[in-house]
Amino acid sequence: MSNKVIEVTNLTKQFKSYKKKPGIKGSIQSFFNREYTTKKAVHDFNLEINKGEIIGLLGPNGAGKTTLMKMFTGIIVPSAGELTINGHRPWERKKDFKKKIALVMGQKSQLWWDIPAMDSFLLLQKFYELSDQEFKTRLDYMAELLGVVDLLHVHVRKLSLGERMKMELMASLLHNPDVIFLDEPTIGLDLVAQENIREFVLDFHKKNGTTIIITSHYMADVQALCKRLVLIFDGTKAYDGPLEKFEKILGNEKTVSFSFSEEIGGCDFIDKYDAKWNECRNHVDIRVPEEELREVSKKILDLYPVIEFNTEKMPIERVMKTLMTNPEVLRQQRENLSS
Amino acid sequence: MIKSFKHYLGVYRYFVSTSLSEALSFRTSFVLLILMDIFFYFSVLFSVDFLFDHTLMIGPWSKYQLLFFIAFMLNIDTIHMGVFSSNFWMLGFKIRTGELDFDLLKPTHSIFVAFFRYLKPSSMVTAPVAWGILVYYGNKIGLYWYDWLMIPPLLLMGLALLCVLEFILSTSMFWLVEGMGVNFLRMQMQQMARWPDFIYKYTYQKIFTIAVPLLLIGSGPVHFIFDKSKWPYLLGMVVALIISSLILIKIWDKALRQYDSASS
Repeated sequence: MSNKVIEVTNLTKQFKSYKKKPGIKGSIQSFFNREYTTKKAVHDFNLEINKGEIIGLLGPNGAGKTTLMKMFTGIIVPSAGELTINGHRPWERKKDFKKKIALVMGQKSQLWWDIPAMDSFLLLQKFYELSDQEFKTRLDYMAELLGVVDLLHVHVRKLSLGERMKMELMASLLHNPDVIFLDEPTIGLDLVAQENIREFVLDFHKKNGTTIIITSHYMADVQALCKRLVLIFDGTKAYDGPLEKFEKILGNEKTVSFSFSEEIGGCDFIDKYDAKWNECRNHVDIRVPEEELREVSKKILDLYPVIEFNTEKMPIERVMKTLMTNPEVLRQQRENLSS
Repeated sequence: MIKSFKHYLGVYRYFVSTSLSEALSFRTSFVLLILMDIFFYFSVLFSVDFLFDHTLMIGPWSKYQLLFFIAFMLNIDTIHMGVFSSNFWMLGFKIRTGELDFDLLKPTHSIFVAFFRYLKPSSMVTAPVAWGILVYYGNKIGLYWYDWLMIPPLLLMGLALLCVLEFILSTSMFWLVEGMGVNFLRMQMQQMARWPDFIYKYTYQKIFTIAVPLLLIGSGPVHFIFDKSKWPYLLGMVVALIISSLILIKIWDKALRQYDSASS
């Protein structure tokens, strides 16, 4: 039996929109005469995801990530291509399919604003036909893990953003789905709340072996949760592979930072590693080939009054930043990667 | 089938309880809505009563026959306001903002979530007033016991036809995105059905009885209650209900294919 949960072949989605010129004249003109344009939000997208994987779906704003998520969940219908999730075509919106998936959107809420979250959970219990025992066990487990036991009976409008997002997660996962789509689940949250959400997702995955697809602009989310990344750019797939390989997409250099107790004058040895000094010249970031890391670090520590040094914690952040600000690099890398 | 019915009923029970919970958290608004409904009932009845100060008959009906018709329509309105009306406004909002996304994920039919989710409990409170008015005018025109028995199913048939026609019209919001215009048009449709069919000229009467069967909603059942030889009205309602439901299912499916969900 196939282990594949998601199979996507040449998936395409087009949207039609029109542009309106500003002002009253533009409004009147567009009332009578609209120039429509068709944009391909996702184009010939292919993907296979195995059961139990956690995939990071990355890309700049407007790249097509959310459009993909909406096609995966059956909210919107693809313009072309094939897509199966757990053997179902999502846009047929079969009951069995809907009971096996969940979508969490960081910027949209499914909870009722003017009633406590518990009332919404009880409604979801009926929607998903959960027994009282199942409902209670799962609710208790999630509420405890997320630290929101005391907030279940508070009106949703009175909760903070972080608390609300925890409730959203609970609402989406109560029915114990096989596949979870998380669309920017940590957006706008403080660092502690972000970490809580990540820990919860990991624990839920460990406990249930769920397949998870996550989009996020916070690389800490990706680093903590995903082993495999899919990069989407202008609606097409630009990368699909392990996180470690993605981190080395621009080369196998490591970025190392050194802080010194005093100003460092001209220094050819450091400067040859693409050094970026601060204004006071008492802090520098250099890029060192991985194989020279030990030797170069040791030499700098020996020769200069180093008070602090560290290697880059999230090389993925640098890679993403480079790719997003310089799409040319991406095109070259895409050619290299496909070969 | 029974399992499915129980599932929907279980969900609906919580639609009622969550709507009630929401409505009761805004006490003044809840009371004002009740007062508004009662004011609406009596303003309609007083208008008709005033007309009969100047004439004995309107069309073939006497004062109390017409007031019975008005009371019949008020009862349809009351259930409609309590159970459905909020959903039409919410649908436009949800399509525009993309909040419909979550409704489409729920493991029930999307029409059920779209048109049954929000209730207006204040109208449930005023329902007994509307029943009282119907009973009062029913007694005035001397209904027989079997007429009384027929009233509940005929009310439900009229309500069902009104709702299906409104569902069809509301589906156009998926193409238009903005729901305000559609909702005002829908309210004009209701306004049209609130008067008996004979006040409209021949061509309008035919159009709004056959092509868009709005005039069957109240006129059909009441004509039949007054005169049993007018059973073709009921047959017309059944046919209209079946055809409209089939159109709704087709057009709803097309609308969901059209839905492009607002960006997040």
